[in-house]
Amino acid sequence: MTGSEHLVTRLPNDIGGLPADRIEQADHELAPWEKRCHALADVLDFHKIINTEEKRCGVEALGAEMVAKLTYYERWIVAFSNILFRKGILSPTELATKMDEVDARWTSAEDK
Amino acid sequence: MAASPHEYEHDHPHAEVSDPNRPGYYDIMETAVRELLIEKKLIGADEIRRQIEVLDSRTPALGAKVVARAWVDPAFRTRLLTNGRAACEEEFGISLYDDTQLIVLENTDKVHNLIVCTLCSCYPRPVLGLPPDWYKAKPYRARAVTEPRAVLAEFGTILPDDVDVRVHDSTAMVRYLVLPRRPERTENLTEEELAALVTRDTMIGVVPVTLNREAAA
Repeated sequence: MTGSEHLVTRLPNDIGGLPADRIEQADHELAPWEKRCHALADVLDFHKIINTEEKRCGVEALGAEMVAKLTYYERWIVAFSNILFRKGILSPTELATKMDEVDARWTSAEDK
Repeated sequence: MAASPHEYEHDHPHAEVSDPNRPGYYDIMETAVRELLIEKKLIGADEIRRQIEVLDSRTPALGAKVVARAWVDPAFRTRLLTNGRAACEEEFGISLYDDTQLIVLENTDKVHNLIVCTLCSCYPRPVLGLPPDWYKAKPYRARAVTEPRAVLAEFGTILPDDVDVRVHDSTAMVRYLVLPRRPERTENLTEEELAALVTRDTMIGVVPVTLNREAAA
């Protein structure tokens, strides 16, 4: 026994049967970007760019800390980015540049 | 480190001015990914908007129609229990994606079915829309498979000991929908009135259908 076996036998998503808190019967209306993120997932699946199982696997690959700290759709969009990098469809630099460009639209709007 | 294309920081002091509409980091990431994919012609510019319309059109009211039809039409009920996907497509034009199966689980006085996705959040979206937050969160996913009666009790559902509780763990390819029991004293209701009794949570299997929806809430 090294005490680490559970890390091998249970990946972060595999939580069925683990002890957990009471269920908080909470729900929320999706933010517009969350809904777009969900629609993006469906469209990526239609085009066979990222299917549901690849997405699930991509979320798992974020590791326990990110899975715990990011919200549901935050995990999705980060997983999509990573999968798109891995498939050579996008590069990290390309995404960083585009994110700056998107952000700059807001910055310049506030300057006015 | 592939997860963060770079550290995203504002070096302009005015960027801290809080515009409630100013998008956050992940919101910006979503816009950037989408726009890059459109620029590369991998997805169409209009597809996201159209898919949002599809998402908005999927609500538990669809599942409720399916349930009410199964209650009043025994031939449909048999088709639904034999092949949920085909029955929903033929009868209601509800289409599932890819090769996803839809297995409909009938609750009886001896069997109570409950659906969960322990690994993530697989859910019969074409008939119920998007899952509630609690369905996607750890407590429900972790506990439903080992202590379903305790989970049901938290939803106010106490079942007799002789009822067999069956928990069904969904996957990307296999989705489940619970066909709840028709309440007693509903013989005189129309199909539409019956459908109005059927809520999302009854089709996940956490609560029974009751005549008084307000009392059940």
